[in-house]
Amino acid sequence: MANKDEVLKYVRTVAEQNTVTRAELIEAYDSASGIKGDVVLTKKLGVAEILYYIGGAVVFLGIMILIGQNWSTLGVVAKIMATLGSGIAAYVVGVLFNKDVRTEVAGSAFFLISALVMPIGLWVVFDEAGFDANSFGMQTFISGLLLAVFLLSYHVFKKNIFTLFGIIFATWMFFSITSFIVGGAPHFNDWKFYMYRILAVGVSYMLIGYSFSKTARVSLCWFLYGFGVLGFLGAALALGEWKPNQNVFWELIYPGLVFGALFISVHIKSNAFLTWGTIFLMAYILKITWEYFSTGLGWPLALVIAGLAMIGAGYMSFSLKKKYLSV
Amino acid sequence: MNNKYMNTGILKKNITLVIGISIPILMIIFVAISIYLPGFFVSPKFNFLYVSGDDYYYYDQYQYSVQNGELMKNEIKKPENRSYEPIKEVKLYVHDVAKNKSREITFEEARSLNLDSNVKSPDGFEIAYGSHSGSFLFSGGSDYGVRYLTGNNISKKLDLQLAGSSYYNNFRFIGWIK
Repeated sequence: MANKDEVLKYVRTVAEQNTVTRAELIEAYDSASGIKGDVVLTKKLGVAEILYYIGGAVVFLGIMILIGQNWSTLGVVAKIMATLGSGIAAYVVGVLFNKDVRTEVAGSAFFLISALVMPIGLWVVFDEAGFDANSFGMQTFISGLLLAVFLLSYHVFKKNIFTLFGIIFATWMFFSITSFIVGGAPHFNDWKFYMYRILAVGVSYMLIGYSFSKTARVSLCWFLYGFGVLGFLGAALALGEWKPNQNVFWELIYPGLVFGALFISVHIKSNAFLTWGTIFLMAYILKITWEYFSTGLGWPLALVIAGLAMIGAGYMSFSLKKKYLSV
Repeated sequence: MNNKYMNTGILKKNITLVIGISIPILMIIFVAISIYLPGFFVSPKFNFLYVSGDDYYYYDQYQYSVQNGELMKNEIKKPENRSYEPIKEVKLYVHDVAKNKSREITFEEARSLNLDSNVKSPDGFEIAYGSHSGSFLFSGGSDYGVRYLTGNNISKKLDLQLAGSSYYNNFRFIGWIK
């Protein structure tokens, strides 16, 4: 592999010979770096930006309450206009605001309204068309449609809000399609299946979050790490079940998973891993104490031991945060 | 050649992203395989006899049971001083598991069958209610309108012929036909 000087020398040579244009070189660089012209929010949100998003969420709530209160009196066209129409209108306003740097962030708030209202709009359209919009087949179709729209929007506008909702719609599609495949089959459709799916989504979120941490999409890490580690540790704890139906494998492996999360929190400097790791360590201590020590030692003594262990977990968490995570 | 190196480079650089996206996709494939594949290798062999039409057992005229592998019909005695709804006609059906079709039979035909009244068939299948769709993350519980033949890691939806409504009381399993 050529070193940096050789590469730059070669670039100068091809530039002199006009065999490669400047635009082609930039395009090649960007496509390899994977952050092609991302116009994303890498800085922390300011008060104004937060108010924009809160405003967007309030507008969404207003639309929902308005529709909910007048549902029985609204005709088919009015229902569709109020839901899908609002979603599309908000999307168009977002596109128009996005063209001006001064209104760009406000545009994202309109994209947020659109992302929240569009699923309901599509549900109304298919429900009014006579389909069973609650069926998993229909939910797979709606979530797939929304995923396609938001991935395409991300490709055009390069905004994190499309990545965020792309992930949310992909998650919805994952749950819908797996439920659709299983159908009503009684041998498969128990709560463990849901737990394993949450476990898989949790791992997926954490890995995607880690890959984003090195790119301009770093601002999505809090969401992906937070929900990823919550889903993963929560599902793993639930899979351990409760005495006398406990699952020994999950109960034995769980401390390893929690301490793994705490170790990773130091490695990637993530408060989400540290916070959820500590909370689930405490939950595990309480669960194990209740299951195995409350009868032998007696519940009061078991509580004392669990409390001391929880204080230890809290102190460890505090120390790790102070030593490794504080800026 | 250069494109190949470029693609490999992008893949290596985004390996955590690729694995992160692959996990749910692989799980979908795994779920599909575990649902559809066993059905190609295992199929239930024993047909079963059931009774339908007794939405309200209280008003039935007869009670069916299996004794020594034979179907028995016992009349239900009612107190004479009480009035009842008109007695509903109940029907006997044999379900062909290979064709997933039911056909009505007479009591005399049913009496000639050799029955096993165990809940589980000799080849390990039993009849169970389906599950409701539920919503997003949560299961909706049992669906009393749909029944499955389940066992050996497969479930087959039963297309049952029912007399009257499809309410959950309107199906009573009697026995596996040996």
